Amino acid sequence: MRWYIMMLGLLLVFPLTASGDYREEFEQGFLTKTWSGQQPEENFCIECHSSDKMKPEFLTLAEEWKASWHAQNGIACHDCHGGDPKDSSMSMSPHRGFVGKPSPAEVPEFCGKCHIGILKNYMESGHGKAFRSSGNGPNCVTCHGSHGIQQANIDIINEQRCTKCHSYDRARAMKQALFLTEKKIGELAADLLTLRKEGVYIEDQRKNLFSIQAEFRALFHSVDVNLVKDRTDEFSHKLAAVEKEIVSTRQELRSRRNFSAFLLLVFAGMGSALYLLTKTPKE
Amino acid sequence: MNGTAKRIRNWLEVRVGLDELIRSNLTDYRVPSNINLFHTLGAVAVVGYLIQVITGICLLIYYIPHADHAFRSVQEIMTRVPYGWLFRQMHVVGSNLLIAAVFVHMVTIFLMGNYKRPRELTWISGGLLMVITLCFGFSGYLLPWTQLSYWATTVATSIPTAFPVVGDFVSRLLRGGSSVTGITLTRFFAVHVSLLPPLFVFLMVVHIALIRRIGLSATPFGRSDEEKRPLTEFRKKLHPDGYPYYPYLLQKQALMGILYFVVMFLVISFAPTFFFPEEATVPADAFKTPESIRPEWYFLAPYQMLKIIPNKFLGISLQIILLAVFIFWPFLDTHKEKNIFKRPVLRGVFIAIMIAMVILMWWGRR
Repeated sequence: MRWYIMMLGLLLVFPLTASGDYREEFEQGFLTKTWSGQQPEENFCIECHSSDKMKPEFLTLAEEWKASWHAQNGIACHDCHGGDPKDSSMSMSPHRGFVGKPSPAEVPEFCGKCHIGILKNYMESGHGKAFRSSGNGPNCVTCHGSHGIQQANIDIINEQRCTKCHSYDRARAMKQALFLTEKKIGELAADLLTLRKEGVYIEDQRKNLFSIQAEFRALFHSVDVNLVKDRTDEFSHKLAAVEKEIVSTRQELRSRRNFSAFLLLVFAGMGSALYLLTKTPKE
Repeated sequence: MNGTAKRIRNWLEVRVGLDELIRSNLTDYRVPSNINLFHTLGAVAVVGYLIQVITGICLLIYYIPHADHAFRSVQEIMTRVPYGWLFRQMHVVGSNLLIAAVFVHMVTIFLMGNYKRPRELTWISGGLLMVITLCFGFSGYLLPWTQLSYWATTVATSIPTAFPVVGDFVSRLLRGGSSVTGITLTRFFAVHVSLLPPLFVFLMVVHIALIRRIGLSATPFGRSDEEKRPLTEFRKKLHPDGYPYYPYLLQKQALMGILYFVVMFLVISFAPTFFFPEEATVPADAFKTPESIRPEWYFLAPYQMLKIIPNKFLGISLQIILLAVFIFWPFLDTHKEKNIFKRPVLRGVFIAIMIAMVILMWWGRR
């Protein structure tokens, strides 16, 4: 017993041999940041735009971005504005592609670097033509905002916003033309999310739905009600194919549950029969 | 018995002495008359292991242990391989049930004092089997290469870095680098399918051989037949007034084995996502940290303990000490009384540990 106590004592003393630095470093990293080792820890854009030295009008940008749809999808400052977020001296260097704030005339091209299909349709639309002729017509940020951009939905088309420039009649007609398809897209997205929660891998269907949605919304940016109406059938067919896959997955889940429940009953039956045998043990 | 069966039986009888083999292992092998259902948990664990082996081999046929393909191959198993979903569900649900069964087995053996002399080695081999079972769970958790498994493994493999001198080396050895990558996946895969199984089989053979060699221990509750003689020579516990193993205990074991299947299919049928949270359907992404990272339920108590002890090194050392105390407990508890109801201090400590574990698990889950 003496040996056990001595060994236990030795083990308890052992922790004290850890160096202070090491422990401190470990405590800082362990269970707080260790698992984010591969992520860029430093982002000088956020750091400066959150500091007291920043002008008040630029101070809210970082917070707005953090709550945005872009942030949720991993689109950071340098993805739009260029620069190097990891190097404070080069974070706003044109040599690292920094472009800063675009002028109003540059906004469509600025956003269109990623949203290519939408840019094309927008430029050919009434909105785009007005923008090109006046240099000051409705552009991306007029409807979507900038840093605090949120996931687009049909409610962006509303009387308050559209009547700033023109009457609401055409916008209302467009909203009506979009309504059913947008509603279907929303329902299917919710169904896919439910399937994911039920343990089904839905990434392929989700990408497919996203692609249909992006194409449909690109079409909307033409602001041509007749064109949207003409092509709605095409999108309905595409969405029907996604819905069919979802229904089929649901059926598959049901049949799995039934099969598993059948096995459950088989074993429960076997167990009951055996229980009756074990009730009267005999030598 | 028809002619062919009779001929096969005779063929075996003259070569291996089949009748005597069956007699000595089934009907002449006596078990204590006051044996209870808790004595079947070891057999339940064996059933659980067999399920893991069979379903594991089925998964092994289709699984690709490569960071680029692991997640996809698991999804293929779930969606395209005929009954692949069933094998995977049985493997995943089975692993959790198995660990639960092993826990309960150890706890009941502890409560019945069956670790006491001359069964110290049986307890130690059982304790090591439990550690290997947890290693199976730990190494297998990473293999689907999901967000859940990736980040849980990242946290778990950073734990050894709390140790001075050897900590970094151990962590790098586990990961195969400074972070969890495809190399970690292949290492864990190798450990899961080729290192742990032979170790496990060896220990299980030792464990069962010791049980058979020493003889089953009777429950200390009610009529106790334990001798309190000094241990000076080996004497097998024969239980001449007990019941034959077959049918008495074997039937009970079979019943509990079936119950294990019933519980497994109950979970698969009505709670198929119980062990598959949402992150388990998202492929691993080293650049996207999930909002909450937590290990499997059986590691929640030690995980929470690590979180609440300010010095992580002390926390981990304490856990290793507790594990050592647990495994070598028969040498620390030399009291002759087996019945825990007659040992208020031990009973109190046991209840306190159980309550602490439940609180830590609940706390860790939040």
